[in-house]
This record gives sequence, C-alpha cells and structure tokens, in this order.
Amino acid sequence: MRRTLLIGAWLLASACACSWPAGAAELVNPYEGDDAAVRAGSGLYAGRCADCHGADAKGNRGPDLTQRWAVGASDESVFTTIRQGVAGSIMPPSSAPDNELWAIVAYLRSISVVPPLASTGDPQRGRALFVAECEQCHRVGLAGGALGPELTMIGQVRSREALVAAVRDPSAAVALGYRAVTLRTKDGPRIEGIVKSEDAFSMQIMTTDGRLQGYRKSELVELTPATESLMPGFSVERLAAAALEDLLAYLGTLRGPAAELAR
Amino acid sequence: MSSCLLRTTTVLIATAVLLAAPPRVRAQTEGQESEGVSSADIAAGLADPTHWLTYSGDYSGQRHSPLTQVTPRNVRRLMPQWTFQAGTFARGRGFETTPLAVDGVLYVTGANNYAWALDARTGRPFWEYRRTLPNDLTYGSSAPVNRGFAVLGERLFMVTLDAHLLALDRRTGGVLWDVVLTDYRVGYAATLAPLVVDDRVIVGISGGEYATRGFLDAYEPATGARLWRFNTVPGPGEPGSDTWPNDTAMARGGGATWMTGSYDPELGLLYWGTGNPNPDYYGGDRRGDNLYTNSLLAVEAATGTLRWHYQFTPHDTHDWDSNHVPVLATLDWQGRERQVVMVANRNGFFYVLDRVTGELLLGKPFTATTWAREIGADGRPIVLNEDGSTGCLPDQWGGTNFNPPSFDPKRKLFFVNARETCASFHAQPETQVVPGQVAAGGMVWVDRDKASGALRAIDVTTGQIEWEFAYPTPTMAGVMSTASGLVFAGDHEGNFTAFAAATGEDLWHYQTGASIWGAAAMTYMLDGRQQVLIPSGAALISFALGDD
Repeated sequence: MRRTLLIGAWLLASACACSWPAGAAELVNPYEGDDAAVRAGSGLYAGRCADCHGADAKGNRGPDLTQRWAVGASDESVFTTIRQGVAGSIMPPSSAPDNELWAIVAYLRSISVVPPLASTGDPQRGRALFVAECEQCHRVGLAGGALGPELTMIGQVRSREALVAAVRDPSAAVALGYRAVTLRTKDGPRIEGIVKSEDAFSMQIMTTDGRLQGYRKSELVELTPATESLMPGFSVERLAAAALEDLLAYLGTLRGPAAELAR
Repeated sequence: MSSCLLRTTTVLIATAVLLAAPPRVRAQTEGQESEGVSSADIAAGLADPTHWLTYSGDYSGQRHSPLTQVTPRNVRRLMPQWTFQAGTFARGRGFETTPLAVDGVLYVTGANNYAWALDARTGRPFWEYRRTLPNDLTYGSSAPVNRGFAVLGERLFMVTLDAHLLALDRRTGGVLWDVVLTDYRVGYAATLAPLVVDDRVIVGISGGEYATRGFLDAYEPATGARLWRFNTVPGPGEPGSDTWPNDTAMARGGGATWMTGSYDPELGLLYWGTGNPNPDYYGGDRRGDNLYTNSLLAVEAATGTLRWHYQFTPHDTHDWDSNHVPVLATLDWQGRERQVVMVANRNGFFYVLDRVTGELLLGKPFTATTWAREIGADGRPIVLNEDGSTGCLPDQWGGTNFNPPSFDPKRKLFFVNARETCASFHAQPETQVVPGQVAAGGMVWVDRDKASGALRAIDVTTGQIEWEFAYPTPTMAGVMSTASGLVFAGDHEGNFTAFAAATGEDLWHYQTGASIWGAAAMTYMLDGRQQVLIPSGAALISFALGDD
C-alpha cells in the first residue's frame, strides 16, 4: 500500500514529532527515509521553492539543491538555511512549521547525491548483465529504451537498499507514470503500455514499443489497468545473489551523463 | 478503469421545456456612470440576468441560474471567448473565486490578495489591486487564496491573508477603508467572499489549524465599523461551554467560519458553517461535543444572536470542517411545505434541516464512508469508527469540501462533487502551543490507491443518489446548474464539463489545463449572449455559444 503523509498548515502539524532538546548537538530529520514524507515534501517544494530552484531542484534563479549533501551540507544545515533564509540574497526566511521544513529536507535529500554504492560485484559483468536484461527499457546515457525510468544518474540518487528492492520486486511500488494498462479500440488490436496521464475522458500512454499515443475513452472497448509492473521481478532464481552484486556495482557507477560518457 | 460512466438511474429529458428563452438584456451602461449596486439588487439575486452580485449568485446558495440560452441540445457549441491569466504565482493554489458581474464588468479576487476589474467582453483589465502583505503571515502563507468580492453601491469588499477587511472603490481599485478583523500573527487569515446583507458586511475567519477561536462579524459598509461579533466557541459560563472541559480548551477551540454562508431575508437569519475544533486530530484535551464547531449556525443578521445550531460531527478528530455553502430551498416534505437548509457535509453525509427550527429532517450518507452509516433518532451520528486509527475513513479533506454544490429546485436534485478516500488518523498530544504555529495534534495517512471522485445527483427528499459521473481522482471543483437542465462541474484533471441534469450524461467538456480547485462556475447575460465562466488554475475562462 502506498501511503502519503499529507502536510500543510491547514492539514496537520505536529511540533512534537519534530522537536528536540535545546542545545542538542545535531538535529536529526524525523522524516529521514520516510517515503510518505518525501512525497509530501515534494509537493511543498513544488509550491514554495521550485520557482527559484527549478522544478527538478537543479537550479534556476537559485542554486542547484541536489548537490548540497555532496558538498558537505547536513540535514540540519539545510533546515536552518530554509528557516533563516540567506541574508543579502532573494532567499527569504520561512515561518512554516518545522515538520513541513523537515519534509522538504527529506525530499531534497531523496533527490540528492548519495554516498557511493558499496558492492562486492564486478561492474563490467554488471554492465553486460544490464545490456542483456535491462537496456531494452531503461536508458543510460545515450543508449536504451524509454519504457522504464532513465537510470543515467541512478547511482547518485538511489541507495543500495532501494535498488535491491526495485530489482527483486518491482511491482511492490510502481511509480506514477509507469503503471501498466491494456486497452483496445473498436477496430484495433489489444495494446499494452504504461499510463502517462489520465482524466475522465482520455488516457495518454506509452506503448510497449515506445510510441506516445493518446486515446479518447469513448473510443475504447477495453481498458484494463494491470496490477503488476511491466518490469519482471528478478528473484534469486532468475538473478543469483552474485549476479545482483555485479548489477549493483554497475548501477553504482551511474552518477551522471559525464561519468557515463567518459567510460 | 473499465468505465468512466457510472449512472444508477436515468431520467428522461423533457425536451419540450428546454427551448432557449429569449434573453433579458439590461440597458447597457457602456460609457455611462453606473448607479451602483443596491441591497435590493443583491436581494433580487439572479432575477436580472446580467448580474451575479454575490458569491453564490443569490442568498439561497443554490448556485442555480435561471438562464436558458445554453441548453443540453446546444451546449456542444460552447466556445471559449477569452482567457484571463492572473500572471501571479499562486504557490500551489490558483483561483478559488467567483467573479461578480455588474454591468459588463467582472470583479475578481485572486491568490496572494491580488484583485482585478475585467472587461467582461474581452477579459482585459481595467485595474489591478495588489495588497502589500507582511512577510510573517501564518495561515495565509499556506493557503494564500481568496474566494471573492462582495459589492454594495460603489464599494467592493474583500478580506485579506493578514485578516483585514477592505473596501475598494469599484471604479479604481483604490482602498477606501481598511479594518483589522483580528491579529493574523496568532494564526488567523481571511479568505472567504464577504456577504452583504442589507446594510451589513458579514465576514468569517480562517484559522482552525492554529490555536485560535472562530467568530462571525458584521461591519458597517460605509465606515468599516464593527456592528457585532458572534464567537463560535463560547466563553466561560456561556451556553455551550459545558461541552468543553475547561476555559483553556475553549480559548483555542477553533470553529473557524471560512466559507460564505447563506441568508433568508424573510426570517432575517444567516446560515453559516463552522470548522473543526483545535487541535484537529487530538481530542484528549477537549473532551465533550465542542460546540459550536463542525456545526451549522442560524444567526440573526441584525444582532449576531444565535437562533439555533446543528452539529454534524460532535467532538471531531478528523478535521471535517463544516465550512460548506448552506443551500436554502422550499420543499414539499411529506405533504407539508417546509423551509429547509441542505448541506452535503465533509463527514460524508447529506443533511436536510428545517431552517426555521433547526429540526433534522434527513441525514443520509452520500459517500461510502465507514465512519457512520446512519443518524440516530437524537440527531447524532451513530459512529462506527471513532478515532480512525485503523480502518479506512474519509481523509481530512472529507467526502466533499468547501467547493460549492448546486441545487435544481425543479428536479429536486442536489449536485455535489463527492470524494471517496481512505485515510487513517494518528493523534498525538501536543507538548506545547506556540502562537502562530500550526497545532493540529497528529497526522493523517492517505492511501492514494483507494481514492476516486464522482459528481453525484442526490434526490433531496430521499437522500438517494439518482446518478453519478466518476472521475479518476477526487476533485475539489465546484458545481453550478441552470434552469435549462445543465450541470457544469470541474474536476482535478482540469476538465470543465457540462452534464444533463436529468441523466448525468456528459454533453460537452473542455480541458482547461489546470485543476479546477475550490472554484465553481458562474453565468450571466452579456449583449444578449449567455456567458459561462470558470476559474481554473491561474486563469479565468469565459465561454459562450459559437455558431452552428
């Protein structure tokens, strides 16, 4: 079950969950690793920060926020910057409740550079595995498919634990924009794809062969959402532990276009 | 989704009555000095087809226009005439306003306390007003919205995010007077469209997520002097104080009044909804029913005296504010004519009450809520799942919200955008209360996979759902209906859709490009053509019939 922690001044606030003793050495984000808080923080970020820092937090009028932790910032320092603003700049102070700021911090952390992924595997064998099993749907650099998420920077933005979970059981959490559907028009064949957008009257999908195609629901005779991800699950039987280590080792090298192109 | 069309009952359209009536066109005032809007004009409601003079169109809250030029037969020819872009970043919330239409001019409020007078023929502005807001807003920083002007004479009335009430010059947007409602720094803001009743400007307040105490005020239109205040949470020893454990809980008890109410001129009564008790989710420090939170109040407009109240959700711990537009109507009720007030409530129930006495006539769920499924003989809900820490209750946005419903008195159908959601509530005691900081007392977990929406037509005499139209996600859009048999509703994906009032058949839709959120359509005649206007995102879009 995917759950969303909804945060907004008119929704909730719980100062108690985010309070800490005065004079404590280090403030810890109470939402660290909390996926629901990350999603809530994403919404808060979009409403309050994206105008200056960009929808992807990679900077616009304000600086790139995805690199803060990579250059030594901590959750606490980012929290403090949001709270106090930056004197002499257009970055204003915020009076929003602590838990909203922590949710934003959790979101920024989730899209930021993560420590290099630790793996005992061989990245070259992992790359070969990736090309054989994954590249048809996932793009890295200039090569690969579009049906699944691009992975060019996956080593920067996903932890080892998150990657293992995504490989072993991809249907456990299918991101919005990657949910599968089967549909058919009156005179056409059955079509499988992933839902990119939907409203009461239409649906926009990417077909499994990578075409973007929109449909009016009134013209469909079948519309069946899938319960599973289009990505197959790589169980231990299908992908042994050692091979998974190789794949993780390769994914850990994917830390941006420059890194990929340089290889 | 196997089908987007889910209708339980179909009623034939009486096509013979759907012929477009000839439009009544008021003498145009282009280039002339306007004579101003009188109290009688406002009380006449939508009788003048060129007017829309108050938030719901008239005092009844029905948001049901008598206009008949746009019909189920011709609505497919509805075409955009112009789009107005606010050009302001709304920080996640866009237009929630209902424009007022006066003699070819639209008066519009927007996010962050911008406002405009627009040429109704072109969408071009005559003037723009922008309030300089303090940088330490409390409630107003999280929901920087506004829901509309009120008008009287040459004055426009508007509330602000720093909890002031302004009178603007209708011709220039200049500020005529500016009075303080209350101290915003404690946690208050004001967002509703004021309601002008005779010689009073009625306003309510936002702030129930902070440790605040709600009130309803009346002000003198010429000067801004306050005429009366009704506190929605009693003071020590006052009636209702026995529903609170102590004075401390009452002093921060919530009960905000943040949506425009309705008015019965014959009874002289205002009908106004109140919001959640504070803190929202933790009720351990405020045991009791917590009057007059989550209630409908009948308040004498002349004096501010409470005549009666009905509490929909006693001792609420789910943030199910009752800040809805109360809908007034005259119904044949079991052989007897009754003056009623109707509310589709955030707790998932639809209610009909006698508006003279407050007697409950009907209370039926219009959603799949598992919080309660019936109202007991004592008028209280028979609660099945009180705290919601387990199971699946309507989320804190509720079975519907402040987005206006509409009512077709001919068909006896109440149209409301319903929300089906699944949430669990996790209360937490508060260790301290800091003025100006949110104090909600817990968290809510929402299962996004179990969320959907639907426009529903409720038979008000039985509470049965006559038809529905399903949406992929819950919507916060409002509804308007017309005497020609149309229902106009928005959805979260941005569609503005016209439905047949009799059957729920979708007849026309337009993708506006942004969620229609909190706003409902309005309609009026201009140069002999019926205009239909919908706010969407940071835009207003005006439609009229194109050629065949």
